[in-house]
Amino acid sequence: MNALPRWLRSARVLMGLTIITTIALIALLAPFIAPHDPNEQNLISTFLPPAWVKGGDTAFPFGTDSLGRCVLSRLIYGARIAMTVAIVASLGAMLIGAVLAHIAGYFGGTLDWLIGRTVDVWMSFPPVILSLILMVGLGIGLRNVILAIVLVDWTRFCRVLRSEVLVVTRRDYVAAARLIGFSHWRTITREVLPATLPLLITLVSLEMGIAVIVEAILSFVGMSVGATTPAWGQMIADARQYIYDSPWSLIFPILMIFVTVLGFNVLGDGLRRTLDVRVTETQRT
Amino acid sequence: MTSILPLILRRIVVSVAILFIVSALLFCILRLLPVDPAAMSLPPNATLAEIEAKRHGMGLDQPLFRQYLIWLGQVLHGDFGASIHFRRGVAGLIGATLPATIELAVLAMLIAGTLGIAGGLFLFHVRGSAKEPIADTGSIVLLSLPEFLWGLFFILLFGVALELLPFTGRLSSGFQRPIVTGFLLLDTLLVGRPEMFWDAMKHMILPSLALGIAFSPTLMRVLRSSLIDVYQEDYIHQARLRGLSERRILTRHGLKNGILPTLSLMGVQFGFLFGGTLLIEVIYSYPGLGNLMVDAVRNADLPIIQAVGLTYCVVVLTINTAVDAAYIILNPKLRIA
Repeated sequence: MNALPRWLRSARVLMGLTIITTIALIALLAPFIAPHDPNEQNLISTFLPPAWVKGGDTAFPFGTDSLGRCVLSRLIYGARIAMTVAIVASLGAMLIGAVLAHIAGYFGGTLDWLIGRTVDVWMSFPPVILSLILMVGLGIGLRNVILAIVLVDWTRFCRVLRSEVLVVTRRDYVAAARLIGFSHWRTITREVLPATLPLLITLVSLEMGIAVIVEAILSFVGMSVGATTPAWGQMIADARQYIYDSPWSLIFPILMIFVTVLGFNVLGDGLRRTLDVRVTETQRT
Repeated sequence: MTSILPLILRRIVVSVAILFIVSALLFCILRLLPVDPAAMSLPPNATLAEIEAKRHGMGLDQPLFRQYLIWLGQVLHGDFGASIHFRRGVAGLIGATLPATIELAVLAMLIAGTLGIAGGLFLFHVRGSAKEPIADTGSIVLLSLPEFLWGLFFILLFGVALELLPFTGRLSSGFQRPIVTGFLLLDTLLVGRPEMFWDAMKHMILPSLALGIAFSPTLMRVLRSSLIDVYQEDYIHQARLRGLSERRILTRHGLKNGILPTLSLMGVQFGFLFGGTLLIEVIYSYPGLGNLMVDAVRNADLPIIQAVGLTYCVVVLTINTAVDAAYIILNPKLRIA
């Protein structure tokens, strides 16, 4: 066991990784494990409860929705959209946010001021409102959902990382690197980045959870991937209309979103505790 | 006081400057849309020449910057244009819905603040004890439930399963809404109808609770960690050596400094929370800005989207400026600039 790095021995990290790997596998293997086509309608058997409830049908383990579509299959296919958006959008937001944060924190001066004011402008929009407005401007579709989330959430990285970069840049070893003639590029990538990397990784994990929620919100109001692609938020919006007929088809997507976000948050929390040296020194006692 | 005022004034000037940039940004994003506002504001049987005339009348044939100036000039005169879908003035629509959203947000913020401070004190209290991992896990679970999942969950539990509370609209069907100030809770009290106030309150319990709970865990965790930081300071040890009780150390010494980061976070959180009302309003069919916005988005109703987006920003900037000002007054360290 001692051969494993500390972050892999944390119970939180393992739990988070297990949840996320499971959902990622479900998403990848969707065509093989889904019992039905997610868009296949069975108008004779609408609003079926789950199989274990009285009146359920074992052909539809989690029941059916208002159009008789298999809830389980839709959940499985919905994981594809959620995971794609979570991974691509948060890496995109991380890239923009981290680059700008390192530029602002390392060089300071006018560049720092300019980037700081840009973040201020962004922060004056509530994130949900800005992403909705962007979706109106860009139009619906998976690529635009990802683009909208990247354009809204890069500030989360930029704000937090900038102050971290500022602290690291003032350390003596960074000054030493400059003195022995390292270029700015080499100093940032070889000296500053390794010190900010733990925070960066933690933030990415948390951002993935946020991206899942934002995608669900956008598809809930019908501004995400369009009606033919199953998404969790869209399932919630459908089920909300028939809440008295089949509360079950509302509960399942809620649970899926919750478990996914929980997975990312537990992973992020575990990584923060084990990777960040300062946290581990003071808070682990 | 003399040294505080210029700082606050500077903060206000910055906010106004940001607002102008935000309005320009909003204008540009929405001009990306492939719809023609001129064609949409005319009846479908309008001729091409009529549309062209309308385009010219609306200034759509001019460069983007000029168009923005025209729009800004109108907005500064209080003219937000007319809704394409409702065929009503946008200013009136916003005036009718904004109070409802403010009521919801304020109530939710009170709940979030109360829960956040209580939870933070609890997390701080159990630090280092056997209960800590449980409390910690609880706060992560809370953190993973966004407001709209709470909203739906409450509808299922209290609305559908237990049938305890209503979950659509603002008033039961028997009541006639009084209009004095536009704020329903205030109006029902002003016209002396406590039973109607109670009915309106019952409609607001679930939405504001869902929103409040969702925004409390961040406050809890920040209050906890800033209290832990404060308790490392010498003056706390000194207070303890003087023989003060733990309760007195916490309320008179620890919280005084420990609550400052939480207060400033509350400002940021209130901005997020104000955006969060959008989903809650849609879920609870609550007639506020959020429902107006979502309807406008579905109908591609540009004048509304533009004006409502701007309204959200104005509210958020106002809150942030007020919180910063309060922070400057409360935290003497910031007064030297």
